[in-house]
Amino acid sequence: MPKHHGSYHSISDLKESPIKPKKTLQAFTSAALVLPGLLLTSAHAADKDRINFQYSRYQEGERNLFGVPNNLKPISADVLHGSGSLSLTDRTKFFYSYTQDTWSGATPITIAPLAANSNNPVLRDNPFGGTTIVGASPLINRTVQLDHDLNPLRQDPRTGQITGQDSRSVMVLSSASPETRNQGNFGLSREWNEAAVNMGGGFSTERDYKSSFGNIGGRLDFNQKLTSLKFGSGYTHSEIGAILDHDASPYITKTAYARQIERKGGSEILRGDRQDWTANIGLTQILTKSALVDVSVGYTHSNGFMENPYKVMSVIFIDPVALNNNLATPISGDMRALIEQRPNIRNQLAFNTKYIQYIAPFDAALHLNYKFTLDDWGVNTNTFDANWVQPFGNEWTFTPRIRYYSQDAASFYQPYLFSRQTVQMNKFDAGKLPDNFSSDHRLAGFGALSGGATLNRRLSKGINLEAGFEYYTRASAMQIGGGGGNSFADFDYYVASAALRLDMEGVGTSRPGAGNSSHNQHSVVHHQHKIPPAGIMFGHMLDKPGDFMMGYRLMLGRADGHMMHGSHKASDPVIVEQGCSDTLPCRFTPTYMNMRMHMLDIMYAPTKWWNVMLMPTFMDMDMNLRRLDKAPPPVPGVHEHQGIAGHETGAVGDTYFSSLIKLISIPGHRVHMNLGFSAPTGKVDIELRRMAKVDGGLIHFGMQLGSGTWDFMPSLTYTGEKNRWSWGAQVSGVKRLEEKNKSGYRLGDLAQATTWGGYDLTRWLTASVRGAYTWQGAVQRDFDSFNARIGPMDFPANYGGQFWDIGLGMSAVIPGGRFAGNRFGFEWIQPVRNDFNGYQLDRKGMLSATWSYRF
Amino acid sequence: MKEIHYVMIKSMLVVSIGLTGCVNVAPWERGNLAKPQMALDPHPLQSEIQSHNYSSREAAPSHKSSTGGGGCGCY
Repeated sequence: MPKHHGSYHSISDLKESPIKPKKTLQAFTSAALVLPGLLLTSAHAADKDRINFQYSRYQEGERNLFGVPNNLKPISADVLHGSGSLSLTDRTKFFYSYTQDTWSGATPITIAPLAANSNNPVLRDNPFGGTTIVGASPLINRTVQLDHDLNPLRQDPRTGQITGQDSRSVMVLSSASPETRNQGNFGLSREWNEAAVNMGGGFSTERDYKSSFGNIGGRLDFNQKLTSLKFGSGYTHSEIGAILDHDASPYITKTAYARQIERKGGSEILRGDRQDWTANIGLTQILTKSALVDVSVGYTHSNGFMENPYKVMSVIFIDPVALNNNLATPISGDMRALIEQRPNIRNQLAFNTKYIQYIAPFDAALHLNYKFTLDDWGVNTNTFDANWVQPFGNEWTFTPRIRYYSQDAASFYQPYLFSRQTVQMNKFDAGKLPDNFSSDHRLAGFGALSGGATLNRRLSKGINLEAGFEYYTRASAMQIGGGGGNSFADFDYYVASAALRLDMEGVGTSRPGAGNSSHNQHSVVHHQHKIPPAGIMFGHMLDKPGDFMMGYRLMLGRADGHMMHGSHKASDPVIVEQGCSDTLPCRFTPTYMNMRMHMLDIMYAPTKWWNVMLMPTFMDMDMNLRRLDKAPPPVPGVHEHQGIAGHETGAVGDTYFSSLIKLISIPGHRVHMNLGFSAPTGKVDIELRRMAKVDGGLIHFGMQLGSGTWDFMPSLTYTGEKNRWSWGAQVSGVKRLEEKNKSGYRLGDLAQATTWGGYDLTRWLTASVRGAYTWQGAVQRDFDSFNARIGPMDFPANYGGQFWDIGLGMSAVIPGGRFAGNRFGFEWIQPVRNDFNGYQLDRKGMLSATWSYRF
Repeated sequence: MKEIHYVMIKSMLVVSIGLTGCVNVAPWERGNLAKPQMALDPHPLQSEIQSHNYSSREAAPSHKSSTGGGGCGCY
């Protein structure tokens, strides 16, 4: 979001500019004149144009299940972020950001007495004796034995004998298949000498939660820019459409939401909407030559559906007659799971203060923050954090950080509830329950301590690398003024991140001859022909030793429509019979599949005949299935795809790195060879969650994120050009270098031949036509652990084939002005003829989009 | 407890507003303040990640609430 792009870059980059030392004072003076912008997080037109790419991984530790054996993976999330700020005019800037996160792992759905044994390990007998834990399944409707003071009693699982009182609680975990969220933000800002305004908006979408939002803000400078007043407000509208867990739904009491639940395609969807209004005002004040303070107040009003639709409250119903019978015998509590009920209104106030002190002996800065918030749910919070920002020369900055947080519990938080009534025919008197209740541990009282560090390294030419790490530990006992009593919810996590930041203008000024637009135009246009269509990888080289190119590539692929066999449509009964195996008929088939791949192209030229490239990738996919006509009926204990929800996967894909070697370079003709490798950084062991007491097993081959093997990726490229015409050809291949990956299989090898022609429509715009032939082998070997084998996509023979495609592309290079040198390319790849191995979903085409910039 | 907080917040506000009248740092004296380590948010990319993680694990309003987004965090 624009708010968070720092405003100091104009100053920091002065150090890099070719200003002679005697001009340093002048530089600092002019820097000082733009200072108030620097003091504010709001958008500021004096910033350099900048592009950021960032990847981060969030990994939680295991939850405390008090020794119950389980094989649940803790929650993890992979986050990809790209953002930038671009000057449209001297005083107007455009901001954008895109974030994609995919999470998976086991999540707490409720809290129950430990004595209820709700975390239930799923064991399978080994063929050679003994048992293995193959899963875990939450049991949320249980009978709990209680004494007359309502203390849970532990029972011997075999004899049923009461062994004593056990008042411990435990989180009940449920596993989840991966889910992906996408968020886009856009904004504009306008700057005047002593004021600024900014506005922005965006959206966030995930399968069950869609938000759109907008905000507006501004800044006024006073008192020779020693004081700045900033203000802003925002509005968010969110729509919830939570597909209730198919597995757990029969055991969840949903009566309070009966009118909000829609039934569709065998799924139950809980719908709601929510609105958030925010307003904030703040003041930044310079105190001395070395210190400043920033204070702000924020108010948020929220209304609507604020529940987490997947969290349930364990309510233990007790027969009042049994409770009052004065016998020594234990009471049987009837534990049910009710969807949580939060208030529909929330008002929050937040007070922030920040003090920043320059520490001259170290040339460092100490940042101290304190934040206090309170709300009408009873959640008061205190946050202290401190950062020490320590530069080392012009190139390195190291920032250690520590943070402490404490919150009080929401007034309606309870680990679990008792209700003195019996449930008859699934009916009870809701009036005897509190209006609001939640056992979400995030509303409990607790404290948290975290610490970490950020390391920045500035390379030449405006390129910055940043790495961050943070470790976080939550403990009930660390709550201010409270004993917590929620230690069963203690957990920890770590976050590691890596980022690349590019300062566009910093780049331009450090280049000899830059600023001379005719030179730029000349070099830009001169190199234009050598860039092949957007769908071609490893298709060009940098010419000048020391040149650096940064690029981003997006590939979107879709398959849908008919199932195909060879080059013909296949009918459902044929797929049932022949699409899977002789012994196992197919029951499901894909209805569509989308693939998105984000790739960074980082290219460097150590010499004019040798270039190196590094390409990290980030993949995400989604797919849905349908039951085949004439498929055999469901069998208990065999995995079924149920409901309307599809599957999603996403995270880091494989990482490519390569060497490009120039073989021939004569006027109008060039040939180069690429020796590339793919490192198996993408996961190949993603599993579907357990459903209906049946394990999902490994997700289909095509939904795994990488090949899982080290691969050799050679190619040979020829490019030619004359006047407005350009042309080229490339042969390329992928050879898997290992017999099998860690899940036991190997993707097929691949070979491709392609040729293209291009014509310059204008000096900066080129149209291209391309033909491509691709051969890919079927998957070799097979999964060596459980896969549900429900349809053609689970069988190795149904992968690969021969494909003939036509590509239509446009590429543009911005010839002059502010964005000179930026290249954009688009290419649509249209399948013309397909000859599929086995039974596969029809290919609908692929879009490639690229951006690149040469430094 | 609450009152102490209010007093702290109010006094910070009063002090900072009060200071605006008497502080005088000339533009040519602002070299240190102009350094990148003195920026209000020296690592905006890190702040973004941190606040996203905190807001999905804690009940306090995050700075995100003023700009929207952030999603459900339903896990």
